Formats: sequence, structure tokens, C-alpha cells
Amino acid sequence: MSEWSETARSSPIPRRRPESLASRALDREGFLRQLDWVLLGAVAVLCVMGLALVWAATKPQGLGPSYLKKDALNVIIGVMLAVLAASVDYRTLRAYTPVLYGASVLGLITVLSPLGQTVNGAHSWIGLGGGFEIQPAEFAKVAVVLGLAMLLSEKREGTSEPTRQDILLCFAFSAIPIILILLQPDVGSIMVFGIVVFGMLALSGIEGRWIVGMLLVALLAFFLIAHLHLLHQYQIDRFTAFTHPNATDKTAQTINYNPQQAQIAIGHGGLFGQGLGNGTQTNGQFVPEQQTDFVFSVAGEELGMVGAGLLVLLSGLVLYRALRIARLAEDRFGMLVAVGIACWFAFQVFENIGMNLGVMPITGLPLPFVSYGGTSMFASMIAIGLLQNVYIRTQR
Amino acid sequence: MVLGVLILSLLATLMGRLWYLQVKVAPHYRVAAFQNQVRDVVTQAPRGQIVDDKGRPWVTNKTAVVITVDRSELNQRADKGVPMLHRLAHLLNTPYHKLHQQTKICRYPKRHVRIHTKSGPKTVVRRVALPANCYVGDPTQPIPVSQAKPTIAATRRAIHIQEMPDQFPGVDAQTTAVRHYPRPQGAMASTILGYTAPIDQSTLNGMSPLRQDVYRNSKVGVSGLEESYNKQLRGKPGIRQITVDHLGNPTGVVKNTAPRQGNDLVTHLDAKAQAALEQEVQAAIDNAHSSGLTADYAAGVVLNARNGGIVAMASLPTYNPNRPPPTLTKPQYTHLQNQPGHPFLDKAYGSSNPPGSTFKPISASGLIHDGTMSVNGAYDCPTTFGTRTNFEGESGKGFISLHEALVISCDTFFFALGAHDWSRDAQLIKDGHQPREGVQNIARAYGYGEDPGVDLPGASYGHIADRRNTKLFWQQNAHRGLNYCKGARTRARGTMLQRLDAEFCRTGYIFLPGDQENEDVGQGTVLASPLQVATAYAAIANGGTVFEPRVVKAIVSPTGKLIKRIKAPVRGHIPLSKYDLTYLRNALYGVVNEPSGTGHGVFAPFPTGQYPIGGKTGTAELTGTNENGCWFASFGGPAGQKPQYVTVIEVDKADQGAVSSAPYVEHMWEHLYGVNGRSAIFNNGVPPTTLPKVGAAAIKARVARKQARRAHRQAQRSQSTATGSTPTSPTSTSGTSPP
Repeated sequence: MSEWSETARSSPIPRRRPESLASRALDREGFLRQLDWVLLGAVAVLCVMGLALVWAATKPQGLGPSYLKKDALNVIIGVMLAVLAASVDYRTLRAYTPVLYGASVLGLITVLSPLGQTVNGAHSWIGLGGGFEIQPAEFAKVAVVLGLAMLLSEKREGTSEPTRQDILLCFAFSAIPIILILLQPDVGSIMVFGIVVFGMLALSGIEGRWIVGMLLVALLAFFLIAHLHLLHQYQIDRFTAFTHPNATDKTAQTINYNPQQAQIAIGHGGLFGQGLGNGTQTNGQFVPEQQTDFVFSVAGEELGMVGAGLLVLLSGLVLYRALRIARLAEDRFGMLVAVGIACWFAFQVFENIGMNLGVMPITGLPLPFVSYGGTSMFASMIAIGLLQNVYIRTQR
Repeated sequence: MVLGVLILSLLATLMGRLWYLQVKVAPHYRVAAFQNQVRDVVTQAPRGQIVDDKGRPWVTNKTAVVITVDRSELNQRADKGVPMLHRLAHLLNTPYHKLHQQTKICRYPKRHVRIHTKSGPKTVVRRVALPANCYVGDPTQPIPVSQAKPTIAATRRAIHIQEMPDQFPGVDAQTTAVRHYPRPQGAMASTILGYTAPIDQSTLNGMSPLRQDVYRNSKVGVSGLEESYNKQLRGKPGIRQITVDHLGNPTGVVKNTAPRQGNDLVTHLDAKAQAALEQEVQAAIDNAHSSGLTADYAAGVVLNARNGGIVAMASLPTYNPNRPPPTLTKPQYTHLQNQPGHPFLDKAYGSSNPPGSTFKPISASGLIHDGTMSVNGAYDCPTTFGTRTNFEGESGKGFISLHEALVISCDTFFFALGAHDWSRDAQLIKDGHQPREGVQNIARAYGYGEDPGVDLPGASYGHIADRRNTKLFWQQNAHRGLNYCKGARTRARGTMLQRLDAEFCRTGYIFLPGDQENEDVGQGTVLASPLQVATAYAAIANGGTVFEPRVVKAIVSPTGKLIKRIKAPVRGHIPLSKYDLTYLRNALYGVVNEPSGTGHGVFAPFPTGQYPIGGKTGTAELTGTNENGCWFASFGGPAGQKPQYVTVIEVDKADQGAVSSAPYVEHMWEHLYGVNGRSAIFNNGVPPTTLPKVGAAAIKARVARKQARRAHRQAQRSQSTATGSTPTSPTSTSGTSPP
């Protein structure tokens, strides 16, 4: 070591003593102390329940614990991504948002290329080999949340509300991934994007006429889509089957089979459930897609209203903490990120549990942290990392 | 804030729905989940046996090799199982087209039908009649295509099918119980025993959904005792509840109940008596045929006059009980169906004809009861009454007693009294009173024109005409229904049918004096089945008790335990004094015993001193032919006792009661009491009162008897060896002789 450096160390400016990483983290102002432990706890319980339910759903398929292992791996990778997302200051992250956005759009384009894979009618996946695949739309959700937060907060310092230009830019910004996903098509994700864009714009302080205008456009779009035959036949069938649960034609019966079996499973659970691994509906594999989109029905049958209700309440707790983080956030960017994530999770939780319970039509949306599925887990975990990020860097 | 409330309401929605599914309507889903994963495998129970009063089997089960084809499995195959059916047809040695028809599922086409209801015409959707030659059972269950005796060849075929599932997909061969009618003593009793057939949709529709599943593939009795005692005979199917996964693969067994065999029936019907009656009824037909008479059919009943049990009941022609309609091909069925004499119909209880003069004791009862006549009085028996003459133009006898009138069967005697009755009733109506109609009322008390209440399905009610139902019938058939008025217009003018139609159209609503007169001699609108006549004569014989006759005596469990002893219910009592009934009985004894009696000649060879027989001839004149419905109704029993039996034989389209029926009734009495060289049906002439051993008890008894016989034989053998081979040592019981 040189003399100079010695001098620098003994500078008159008061400095902390060098400490180990652990002691630093546990320090009163260390980030571990500043984490939202309630949020973390809720997510942890959801993940553990998810693992148990995925195991219960896949055990009767006779594939051994392979799903369980992969799901656990997904959680671990997700936690690492979350740590990554939480550790870099979100204000720094903001600078990288265009890069993230660009990567997501690239991913969505790749899906449409011959590299993409089709699962259950949606061309939404990129195969990575070895049975692993990713769903870029999930990452795009993160990118859009960050991107919109950036656009709506960047020029806002000093002015009171987003300009018309800002708003139009937001639309254009989110339109690109939406259109790309529309080509897959993945209606569930598009609806998530719609809700996220609407929620973030509405809470960014824009004028009321914009909100009304957006609602009108949404209505108009709905009618146009319905009347101009822009939807695939299977999408129309799904919707008609939902509105006619007792329809007797074969298509409706085929589509209604899944939610009907899910509801039988849930109703069969009763108040306290049949016990983990004892559900006859689950063990007989009567509910298709039970480890992914219909994992809630496993909870309903085997854990009863107590367990399934716990899932709803824990999801609600996550949403509450996200909104709380939004409220406490120091700047608009942090607030909007938290709001965007809250909207995203809120819609996905309601849609997924709702379709299990037969109050929503079927779309391929997973239940965050609980459903089996790598990309969804990663994206959700990144979102949690971002929420923690905003929370840590909020001065209390 | 707004977002928070919104999210909270969404979560509340989810929780509410969760509560609704898991608490509010949870029972519904519990059932749904159960039904989802549980399948019932139903094993049909063997039906109970039917035996006669001594335990001889009328109906049993025999094992047969049954080959079934699963249509649903064939339909899933690309070739629809056509090559397989060709192979199977070759194996079973039947034409392919027949096998194809057998495995074709019947469709039930729906059609809109207009029906008339109380509130006017209405259109309803009905399933129309089935097309012939297709399978009417449950299409999801295997269809039986062949049933064979378990011979070596049949068993080999079955094994061949079982060993080559790839050659015969969806085909199964198994040994199962099928219905067998062994015809004890050669008796058929086909229409009494009935037959079974695969359950039909309308019967299923009347059951609860759960029971529908259980009985969907079972057979039900559709005629005779098989029908009326179906619930007792059918037993309880065994149900194995297995859990299955979403593909229907079995994963476990929930519950396993073994099938329970149906209960056995012990009948009053005696195989020997039945065989004898069928033989005599056939002889009556043959005799009439040999005289050039039509004699389409004949029927007879032997009824236990003391308890209402049906000892024998014959109706010929009939069908082979082992070849009932469901086993016949369409041409075979049509051939039998179109035969004169309706082989599928039981003429002893299922159809009715004018009973002729056998009705006179009944009308006499009515005349006595409402005071038109006294048993101490004398009434005119003129040669002619108005335009009517006596039967066969017999000359009048002047004033005679009722006894005399019944013995010689004087028609004009009853015409005059009938006319008197009619005038009295006409006067009563004129005075604003109800007509008395005494003969009609007492006839109904005897069971004429009413449900005979027998334990067999489809028993004929017969008919007793009175003022009310005559008018009703005219209202229903003058301008609609049989539409006599149309017949009067459209039929060839001057023919007999046209004249009858015209007359009915004009005056058919009036109950004319002639109607009453005809009725009192059992002609015209009086209709009765042989069983009804026998029931009425049993009442005269036993002192006035009218029974609802019974074929079945007792219901016994498969283990031989008595479940229920069946006593023929008493319908009522004849409202006549003991004196009057004795008078009637004596008059009927007179028919057989007195030289002027219409049945005297026929019963000349019968020891009536030992077994007094009373009876009445009946000759019902049939419109448009010179042949008559011939009846002889009788009762009798050992001297000094109340009569034991009633025997009735009716021969359709023959000569006269005394000629065409009475001789065969006399033969039947010879059978019953073992006289004139015939062997007696019952020891000491009385049907057994104790129940025979049935089912498991019967097998046990048979084994015991066999063992006793073997022991006896062994004892005999050892005795004979002891006496035969070792004469020097008579004390030795050993079979080995000393060297």
C-alpha cells in the first residue's frame, strides 16, 4: 500500500469502520432491517404452499418429484433474481429500463420466429432445450411497468401532471408488446397489460377526461373485437362457454369441463379439505392443467376453505403491502412501479382464482408464486424485488 | 385508496364465492366428486325359483355360456368391428346379418303425437315403437348375442374368445344363470308362469336414477307370475363400487356387496294336476275338431274351493314356456300370433266370453235376494216366452221349482223372471227411484264384471250389463270408438253385421227387457273368464265366501326360510241365507245326480256316491255361427265334507256344454280322486298344506335322502353278503369272506 492511500484512509471526514457484509446488512440502517418483512413472509408462505400444491397435483401423474424439484429450482432462481432486482437502486435501474424493454420486445419477436413454441393454443414460449422454456410476455410485464413509470415520472418533476405527449407516448410504448402478444395470442397477458397501463395512468395524476376516454376506448375495442371477428374461434367459444355454463353442445361441454371439474374439486374440499394428497378429484386427475393454471383447485379440495382462503388472504396481503409501498414511496417513479405491480398481481390473482371458482372465463394466467411455471415465477419474484427496492430506499 | 377498495372488493368476491362453493352448496359437489370417481360394476342376481305345491320346479335357472358384444368398444374402432363380427359369426355358425342386427342399438325416434286430455287435445312428444331386430337394452352395456348350453363345444368356443382378445375385441364369453322352465310332469303352464325380458326404458324411467343404474342391464318379468312377483323374484344385484381416474382406469374398490338371489315362490299350482288339466283341455279341443267343429281354444280351472288356491289352470293352445316371445324371431312370433286361439293369451283368466247357463245359479241368487223369486215357489217354464224359445226348442214343463229349472236348465223360466225384474225396475225409474238390478248386483258380488283380484297380470274383468254402463258404452261407441252408426251406413246393406250395427246405433243406449232376459241366462252382454266362473262356483260350494284366487301359496327365501305365507284374500260374502245357498247347491248336485239333469249322462261312470259332484252346463250361443261356447262348471269333494274343488272347462266354438266340456270335467274329477283306474293327483285327495322344501333346504334334503339311501343300500349289501357268501357264519357282518 502506498503512503497516499494511508493518508486517504486517515482523512478527517468521519467514516465508518470497515465491517463484514453480514454485520453491515444487520445494521440498524442495513438493508435487511429495512426490508418489508411482512411482504416477504407472505410471498414465502405462498411459495411453500405452491410447492406443496404442485407436489400434490403432480404426484398422481406418476412422474415422481420431478415437478417439485423443478418448481423448487424456479423459486431459488426467482429469489436470486429478486435479490438482484432489489440490490441495485431503483433510480439507477430506471436508466436501464430501455434496455430491459428492448430485450423484452426482442424476446416477444423471437417467440413469433421459428424458435417459438406452442402450448395449449398459445404460441408464447421460447424453448431453451432440456425441457426448459421461457415466456417473454412475463418479462415484458416487468419492462412495461418500469417503462411506464419512467415515462410518467421523468419529465414530471416540477410540472403537476403528465402532458398529452407523455400519455400518448405511454400508449405507443405499451402498444408494441401488446401487439406482439396479440399475435401469439395470449389474451390473459394482454388483459394484464391493459389493466396495468390503465391503473398506472389513472394514478399518475392525469385528468379525469383521459380516464373516461380510456374506458370508452376499451368498451369500443371490446365491441369491435366481438363484431369484427378479430378473435379466434376458440376464444369466442371460451367466452360463450363461460356465459353458458350448462350448455349442452360439445364445444361448450369440452371447454366447461375444466372449470366444472375445478369447481367440483373445490366444492368437494368443504371447510377443512380432504387433506394434502387425499383429494379424489386431484388424485384421479380430473382437473386438467392442475399444477399450473388450476393449482388453486388443489388447495380448494385438499386444504379446504381454510387453505384456499389463506391463499386468497396471502395474495391480498401482498397486494396490500404493494399499495402501502406505493403510498410511502418518495418519488413518483417508485410509487408508479409499486402501483403497476399491484395492478398486475391484482388482476392475475382475481382472474386465476376467479376462473377456478367459475366467476371468470378461462384464460391462461398463472397464480403468482403458487402455480408451477418458471418464467411467471421469475417475473413475479423480480416484481417483489422491485417492491423491496422501492421500500428499502424510502426514507422513514 | 380507490385501488385499495377495488382490490378489497375483488378479494371479497373471491372469498364469498369460495364460501358458496365450499360451505353453502358443498354437499352437491361432494356427490359430484363421488360420482366422478366411483363406478358401479353391477352383477345381476339370479332370479328366484318357482315351484309347485310339492316342490317340483316350474321355473329354475340354468347355467349357459353367454357371449356378449360391447357396442361402444366396436364403435370406437375405425372398422366399427365389422371384420370381428364376421369372425364371430363364423365361430358361432350364424349368418353375419343376424349378428349385425343383434348388435345394432335401437334408436328411439321421437314423434309429436296429439292426445286427448280432459282439458282438450294436446300435442306431446312420444318415443315411437321400436323397429324390429335391434338391441333395446342399454347401449353402454355388453349385448348378449348367443346363449348356449355349457357343452364342451360351447365352452371351447368361449375359451377361444377369451384367449384371443385381439381377434375378438369387445367380445366376452361367460357362464351365467338363465331362466329355464323344466315343464314338470309335462305340464306347460306357460301363460301363468310368464317370462322375462330385458328391462325397457319406460320401466327404468319410473325408477330413481340410482336404481336405474343398478337395474339397467337386468331382466324383468313381463308376463305371468314372473311379472306379478317380479319384485320378489328378482333379488338384489351385487354392486362393486370401484374408484376410477379421469380415464376410467380402476384405482381401488370402495364397496363390494354380493348379489342376493331372489326369493322362491311356492304355488298352489300342482304339476300333476296341471298336466292332467292340460291333457283334458287338449282332449276337449281334439274331440271338437274330430267332430268338425272350429274349437279355436279351450281353457280350464281347478280351484281349491276352500281357500281360493288355483290348483291347475290350463289354456290351450299356448306356447312353449322355454320359447317365449323375446326369444322368437319375427316370423316365428307372427306365425304364433296369427294362429287361431291366441297362443300368447291366457284364455283361463285373461279373456272372457258369455258363460251361458252356468250363470243361472248366479241370476237365481239375485232373483232370490231381491225377492222376485222364492226357493219355495213354483214358476212357469213355458215352451216359448214371447218370440224366444227354450234352448234347442225344448218343450215347456209348466210351473216348476227353481231346483227343477236349474236341473233341466229351463231358459224360459228365467226369461219370465227377468222380464218381471225389468218391468219392476222400469216402474221404479218412472217413480223417480233407482232401479234395483238385483241380478247385476249379486253377479258383481260373485266377482263377475269386476277385477278377479288374482295374482296374475292382465286378468279379464268380464262384463255385466246394466242401464248405466249400457248407456255409457253407447255414448262411447255409437258415433266414435267402434262407431256402430258408421258401420250401419257403410257395411253391405242387409248383412248381419250391418243389421246389428244399425240396431245398436238406433237403440243401443236403452237397456231393453230382452237384455235383462238374456243376461239372466248368461247370454249376450254377460262376459266372464273361466277363473271368474270358478270363483263364483267356489262361493256357492263353500257357503258364500268369494275369494280373490291365488296362484302363489308362499314366498320362501333362497335359504329356505319362509318369508310370507299367502292366503287368498276374501273379496266378500254372498248375501244369501245358508238355507238358500244349500238349496242352490242341492239343485246343482241334481244336475249331475238326477236323471233329468243335463250333466247326468256324462257323470254316469263317476262314483258320485263317494264323491258327490254338483255342476251346471252352459252353452253360450255365438252370433253368426251355429257353434257355441261350451261350459261345464262343477264343484265336489268327498262325501260328508264341504266341497273341496271347483273344476271349470270352457271350449270355444264347439257343440254344447254337456257334450263338449262336461266329459273332460268328469275326467278331471277322476284324476283328482284317483277313480276309474286313474292315479290320484293328491294322496287322500287333498292338496298338501305343508310347504315343500325349496332352494338350499331342498338341496340339503336331497343330499340327506341320497345319503340315507346309500346307507340303506350299504346296509342291504352287507346283509346280503353276510347271508349270501358266508352262509356258515351268519353272525359275520364283514364283506370279506373267509378263505
